[in-house]
Amino acid sequence: MKLTRAHFENFRLLRDLTLDFGCDESHPLTVIRAANESGKTTVLHALQWALYGDAALPGRGQEFRLHPIDWDTDDGSRVTITATVDFELTTHRRIGGRYRETRRRYRLVRTAVEDATRQFRRGPSSVKLFHLTEAGASPIEAPDSLIREELPPELREVFFTDGDRALSFIEADVTLSTKRDRVERAIRSLLGLGLIDDALRHVAKTKAEMNKKARGLDGSGRLSVVASRLDLAAQEEDRLRERLEDAKEQFRNVEDLVASTDRKIAAALQKGDREKLSRERASVKDDMASLDKQLAAAAREHSQLLTRSSLAFDLVSPTLSTAMDSLDDLREEGKIPNTTVPVLEDRLETNLCICGEDLDAADPQGRRRRSHIESLIRESRRADAIQELITDLYYGAKQLFPKGTERLASWRANYAQVARRRDDLEGLREKAGRQYRSLEDQIKLIPDTNLQGLRQSLAQYRGQRDRLLSTQATTETQLDGLRKERDSLERERDQLLRSKEKGARVLAGLDVAKDVETVLKGAYDRITDEELTKVSGLMNDIFLEMIGADPEQGAIIRRAEISKQFDIVVYGPQSRMLNPDRDLNGASRRALTLAFILALTRVSEVVAPNVIDTPLGMTSGFVKRSILRTAVRESTQLILFLTHDEIAGCEDILDETAGVVFTLTNPAHYPRMLINDPGVEERKVLRCECDHRTSCALCERRLDLFEESDQRTKETANA
Amino acid sequence: MPDRQFNPFQTIDINVPVEFHESFQRYCRRGAGSALDRSPFPRMIDLWFLALCVAVRLNLEPVERSDVKTWKMIDGTIFSSDPWRIHALMLIAVGCTQDVSVVAEPRRVMTLANGLAIAGLPRVLEMLQDGGGEPIWNLSEAIDGLLDGASVTGDS
Repeated sequence: MKLTRAHFENFRLLRDLTLDFGCDESHPLTVIRAANESGKTTVLHALQWALYGDAALPGRGQEFRLHPIDWDTDDGSRVTITATVDFELTTHRRIGGRYRETRRRYRLVRTAVEDATRQFRRGPSSVKLFHLTEAGASPIEAPDSLIREELPPELREVFFTDGDRALSFIEADVTLSTKRDRVERAIRSLLGLGLIDDALRHVAKTKAEMNKKARGLDGSGRLSVVASRLDLAAQEEDRLRERLEDAKEQFRNVEDLVASTDRKIAAALQKGDREKLSRERASVKDDMASLDKQLAAAAREHSQLLTRSSLAFDLVSPTLSTAMDSLDDLREEGKIPNTTVPVLEDRLETNLCICGEDLDAADPQGRRRRSHIESLIRESRRADAIQELITDLYYGAKQLFPKGTERLASWRANYAQVARRRDDLEGLREKAGRQYRSLEDQIKLIPDTNLQGLRQSLAQYRGQRDRLLSTQATTETQLDGLRKERDSLERERDQLLRSKEKGARVLAGLDVAKDVETVLKGAYDRITDEELTKVSGLMNDIFLEMIGADPEQGAIIRRAEISKQFDIVVYGPQSRMLNPDRDLNGASRRALTLAFILALTRVSEVVAPNVIDTPLGMTSGFVKRSILRTAVRESTQLILFLTHDEIAGCEDILDETAGVVFTLTNPAHYPRMLINDPGVEERKVLRCECDHRTSCALCERRLDLFEESDQRTKETANA
Repeated sequence: MPDRQFNPFQTIDINVPVEFHESFQRYCRRGAGSALDRSPFPRMIDLWFLALCVAVRLNLEPVERSDVKTWKMIDGTIFSSDPWRIHALMLIAVGCTQDVSVVAEPRRVMTLANGLAIAGLPRVLEMLQDGGGEPIWNLSEAIDGLLDGASVTGDS
């Protein structure tokens, strides 16, 4: 199978998106250039949903919304989601001693309707498959079986791989049994061992029928009892096996959830803990508010300085000194008249001056003297009023403007203090403001991840995983006991059969069934063993070629293989076993899993696409180029989602091997990462025809965030 | 000093040429934060009094402009809330006139003080405006320089 085209409508960010895939054998590579958060994973999900339905979605699609999150319910609350995938199948028929190649084109259309209200609900999806011919499209019955045959669901992870999932065969996050199980299932599925499985089931059924006949030979005797117990044991065994498979399947799914949640938490923490940063931001905001209050108080104090007596004193001190000196002189010289008014008034009343002269007003001399004394009284009164004022002024001024050390700090000293405090506070306020803005920027860069929610989910998944593990262990123990019981019952039944007249025939039938079962199991194991060796060898070749350019890893890695227990193991010098998670760098780990996937596809001789998201993450230089070249060579159809960073340094390889290249852009990246405004309000992924060397007004990106930050700073400065 | 001191100026109005009205409003409006930095004087009397002190510092001659239209800024009751200013006004008058008896003539004291304040106002407004900062900082720095004796001279 080769994918030729896909179209998605209303599938999350893919509101209306068409993808084309190259099928040219000389250019088997399709490159979809897309930055992070530009819908790569969504496209992977959409392709798998189209082919396999809800079971292929995360969590089997139970909590997985398909319609766009910003769907406007004014456009209707029922949203139809459609995924259309065109593919071609090539068959070879032998006609007259020659092989004839036939290519058939198909179109698979899967639709579902979702209620876009707060609690979204999705009905079961419907799928239709059409055979496309020159004459038109003719529907094909049972589309799922054709897909199962061409792209077995067990191999979904081999055909559709995202950067993180690529490590699922070797990652440390999952248990050894899960890794083994994954490798075993992948290998057995690709080798087409379903036929042997069917035959083994058929033999088990025959054995059950023979046992039934044995029961019929003995009425209610011991043989009948034993055969009945064997029937029950077989039924119980089927039930337990089913339960075990179910528990294993659930365990694998939960393990995936644990691993992906763990990764999400790690990724979020690597970028920064949003909640912690938010708390810091709130604390800085409080500091800023407190500093603003202190600044306002300092400004008020500064303003009050302009009204202080110390300022007046300092400014007019030369003049004040003169005035104070005058007052001091007056006081010292005693020039201010004493209090004489009552004495003079008494004299006027008695008409006799203190010198003995007459003060009678009727006498002209007396009148003259009297007038003089009255004048003296007036002058004395005036002088007393002045004295009173001056005395008050003198002592008041002494208090207000004390001399020498008694004086409080000068205005200049006060001003220097206030100015320094205001400067210090301004400095602290600016620093807090910068800190606040920096925290804001950091928070903006962190995806809106609910860490608390993720941690709760992780705890739940871990609890669920532990319970499933316990179920597995219990069921396996029960099965073990049941097998022992069954063996013992079978031996007893066979002995009883030998003693019966008609028992020999039934016994012979049972022996044949047992022999066939042994042969089938042997064939199963032999094929698995042989093919496993082939996959293991090819994986080793591809892996060593991929990492050969890395001298550091080349020095410690000697070979890789898949063990008989289906473990992927790597060996160092002197056949020392290496731990892929600890001893291999990121590039080698990725190379190892890609080598396994490509080897598996190649050995199975299945013609199928390998759709890989971010295959070159964590790789660089020659290793990156080597991985890319090898992957292109080993795949019949390679569809890669590459970021700009992954493409860097590999342009010439893409020139040479890529048949189709285009770019996906998320308009929400404007203005932070995109230079031009795409003018799109909805959240949706857009496609342009730019290849790995070109860019247009839609996809032109900033080199990095600093450039944007600088631009913003410049704009602020200009404003 | 007692709170309720005898205020000899309480019946005397303080009249300022209308040309300064806008400046008084501009620099004496109460506000918070940066507004305080632009309008640093809590009250008009504070600006008036600072202008008087600056004029005395710079030995400026009192200005008597009977020909210009004036506006009543406030009356002398305002000094009751700042009694130290009553003594300061009297001491300035004694210092400037070299006549102690001037203290018995509040109108004469006030005429002299107002004339000096009007002489000092253009200088204070200049101080508020000149400089690279907000008025409060321009003025504070200018006063600091004045007290240091470095920048402004009193010969004009």
